Amino acid sequence: MDNENVYLPKLAKIINIKDEVNGARPIKTFRAQLLTETNFSHRCGQCAMVSVFGKGESMFAISSSPLVKDYLQFSIMKMGRVTSSLHSMKEDDIIGIRGPLGNSFPIEDWKGKKLIFIGGGIGLAPIWSVLQFALGQKKDYGDLILIYGARTSKDLVFKEELEELRKEMTVHLSVDVEEEGWKEFVGFVPQNVTDKKPSPKNAIAITCGPPIMIKFVIQALGDLGFKDDQIYTTVENKMKCGIGICGRCNIGMHYVCKDGPVYSWAELKELPQEY
Amino acid sequence: MVKLEDLKKEATQILKSGKVKYIIGYAKGADGFMPIPTFISDPEDVENLTWNPACVHNLTKFIVDEKKRLKKDKNPDNRPIGIIVKGCDSRAINVLLQEKYIDRDDVYLLGVSCEKTGVVDEKKLAKTLKGQRVVQIDFEDNGNFLVTTESGSEKIPAEDVLAERCIECKANFPVVFDIVFGEKIKRQVDKPFQSVETIEDLSQEDRWKFWKEQLDKCIRCYACRSVCPMCYCDECVVDTISFAVEPDTSAEEKAQKIKWIEKSPNLSENIVYHLTRAMHLAGRCIDCGECERVCPLDIPIRFLNKKMEKDAKNFFDYEVGFDPDQPSLVSSFKDEDPEDFIR
Amino acid sequence: MEKILQKKSFPKWVEKLDAYEIYSPVKKDNTWSYEIINTPGDIELDYPNAVQAPKKIINPQREVFLEFGRSDDDTLEVTEVLPEEKSVVIFGVRPCDAKALTLTDLVFSEDIKDNYYGKRRKQTAIIGLACNTPPSPNCFCTSVDGSPHSEDGFDILLTDLGDRYFVKSLTNMGNDLINLGKGLFVAPKANEKKELAKIHADAEKKLKRQVNDVEKIPPKLKEMFESAFWDEESMSCLRCGICTYLCPTCHCFDISDEVTSVAPFKGYRIRTWDNCQFPDFTMHSSGHNPRPDKASRLRQRIMHKYQYFVERYDHYQCTGCGRCISKCPVGIDIIEVLNKVRDYG
Repeated sequence: MDNENVYLPKLAKIINIKDEVNGARPIKTFRAQLLTETNFSHRCGQCAMVSVFGKGESMFAISSSPLVKDYLQFSIMKMGRVTSSLHSMKEDDIIGIRGPLGNSFPIEDWKGKKLIFIGGGIGLAPIWSVLQFALGQKKDYGDLILIYGARTSKDLVFKEELEELRKEMTVHLSVDVEEEGWKEFVGFVPQNVTDKKPSPKNAIAITCGPPIMIKFVIQALGDLGFKDDQIYTTVENKMKCGIGICGRCNIGMHYVCKDGPVYSWAELKELPQEY
Repeated sequence: MVKLEDLKKEATQILKSGKVKYIIGYAKGADGFMPIPTFISDPEDVENLTWNPACVHNLTKFIVDEKKRLKKDKNPDNRPIGIIVKGCDSRAINVLLQEKYIDRDDVYLLGVSCEKTGVVDEKKLAKTLKGQRVVQIDFEDNGNFLVTTESGSEKIPAEDVLAERCIECKANFPVVFDIVFGEKIKRQVDKPFQSVETIEDLSQEDRWKFWKEQLDKCIRCYACRSVCPMCYCDECVVDTISFAVEPDTSAEEKAQKIKWIEKSPNLSENIVYHLTRAMHLAGRCIDCGECERVCPLDIPIRFLNKKMEKDAKNFFDYEVGFDPDQPSLVSSFKDEDPEDFIR
Repeated sequence: MEKILQKKSFPKWVEKLDAYEIYSPVKKDNTWSYEIINTPGDIELDYPNAVQAPKKIINPQREVFLEFGRSDDDTLEVTEVLPEEKSVVIFGVRPCDAKALTLTDLVFSEDIKDNYYGKRRKQTAIIGLACNTPPSPNCFCTSVDGSPHSEDGFDILLTDLGDRYFVKSLTNMGNDLINLGKGLFVAPKANEKKELAKIHADAEKKLKRQVNDVEKIPPKLKEMFESAFWDEESMSCLRCGICTYLCPTCHCFDISDEVTSVAPFKGYRIRTWDNCQFPDFTMHSSGHNPRPDKASRLRQRIMHKYQYFVERYDHYQCTGCGRCISKCPVGIDIIEVLNKVRDYG
């Protein structure tokens, strides 16, 4: 009868830690390698529960592409008990990983389409895996465009990777307020979307960021003629089990941890606003 | 005796004149004889008000609730709230005043006398009536309750079914009010700490056994805390996370919140919870007995608070809730205070 | 399998079950509670219902998931902890509480299986006692697809026929238990079957409370998410956990790490009951809370039971046991709330 114990994390070693953002809300990117298992296969947009034993577990989006098999990557903002403790960890430290959890972006259905990625702040992390995956299978997709912004240039994550990315796809960056030396767009991400006017023709927009940004991005996309089912986003709620049992992350009948976190706007707008 | 009509008249008047924003009182419940708390802002609804020996709830908790709501309200309506208070409830008001949690202007107190008796203990009543369904219970003269069941009415001596707290009540009449209904009837209480003394009389071993059994039952629903008007802290020692989180609260601050009490509902954690609560209520508990009434597992929580009350009285001659201007028990010092317990 | 067991033979049957850990309702102080019993004589089946449903045995309030610690050479060690292997029998389970387990089964084994719940469930036989009279004045099982003699979730259902029990086995596990008491059970006579049918029919009529047209409630709730109704109904709510912790169908939980020793580092990861009425249940680390007030939390409790669960599993997540009504400190009455929802607007 015994199936896998869904609450038992797999141990993993942190193999690389990179500072992304400093300041009051620092962000670090962690790469971790499972100690024993190698067949951890996730889909774009899926999450995992990361354990610091003695502190607890938190759910994070896996930001590495499913095509990368050597490690799992998480970009984590220092927020509370578990994340503070993760931020104080060093390479070779052991964490626990449970997953992959949740649904994923329907990337197979998007073949042949133009993909527009729209992120704000740490919100680039949950869409990074799908962006990397699409890049890896570039011939399957149309144009790839990234519109990404943060409060200041210091708050942008994956800065080096973004420069690399410019060689392969269109990248539009923005900062909220004017700053010295900034040559790109100044203003909020939704304004940048309006400014760059991506065409809805045969396109899918994937957005993640602070709730208020997502709200206005969806509005901006709507104004540009995007239909509700052409817009995808990810939702966040407090989670514990990650498998749709513990009952706290629900939005209506949906458990975000299991039925989400990925939703098209067409699906999400039908649900009560409880996130 | 309290005349319900007088109470309703006053309620209508203060609502109509806009003197109060709403009235917290008792109304008939959907089913059964137990009334429920009600919140009346429309004078038309005053008709729903009721007053009888089953009006057990200490409604002052809802004043605390309102205070918390007002704090978050950008355009708060600061008019007073009308509230029906029994003797014990009025002492809770005094403690809230003493602790400056509320101002006297925040409330318009409609005092009601418990007459010679007090309120009923639902479980005792059920036992006395051996399963007969109660439809209505009323005050009667001469210390009786008139109990109407499905099979008729009968007089029951109040003392047989009275809530434990009422048996030991020293003030069955409001100590603070704006208007009061019913007569002040002096009642002799010879042994105000009799209940707790039965526990004190046990040997240390038996006492430990008693509390071990009782506190082991706790499921940590926190109803005792939720119902207590003195448990108004924004954040309690048992809460797992900080509630006072602002957008700029640092991660460290959140991460370093001490877990005083683990979530495991085992004996050690349960003891820490209940003793912490008892200590925090020393010199503050007015013995409304609500914590014990609401406990689904029948843990005699009131004993813990009663013990604090007794020690405060015996060691420091301190009584709770009679004077909103007296310095509080734990933050005041007198030269004659005993100190032999300091080792 | 249908049998008759004389009440005087009941203790003899229980004696034969010595390989099992046996739970039964026991009166403690003023309340009934399911406890492990040592002798057959401790079983009391003349009782209303326990304050806490037998869910506390199948889904205990505290469940250890794993043990963690650091060894002498500072290596982190994580060890899985599973429930103890044993055979359990629970006597005296009321139909509402047994049905509740079948609802929790849906959640704990939707497609991802919870081994802890699954194991305890599998190794536990549920022996029911039909309600000849409603155990609580607030019983309303017949309004929510239940009945005082519903067989859902039972291995064996007993019905009190005065000096005998009518014994109906519903599973192989039930048959095995009856076979252990071979010789004590006899086949029911025709008149006993008739008697049973009459008792069952009468019992249904004795329920005092009901929710009419309950099927109208889920679609109605769907339109009421933004309604001011929830503010009104929740005014007196104290945000305690009684309604959910005593509910036989509520199953929400928390997972947390408890460190028992700092040096050497050692502790447990545990599951504990949690509930939607506590403000920290949904509060994000940022301080944002999607359910910031008691109105939204009462709405969640009602909607989960009468809309979301129906949408997901096609059952009401409520078996009409009436505990949340009887024990609510301020008399919030789910029957009343549901009736108002049905008639709202």
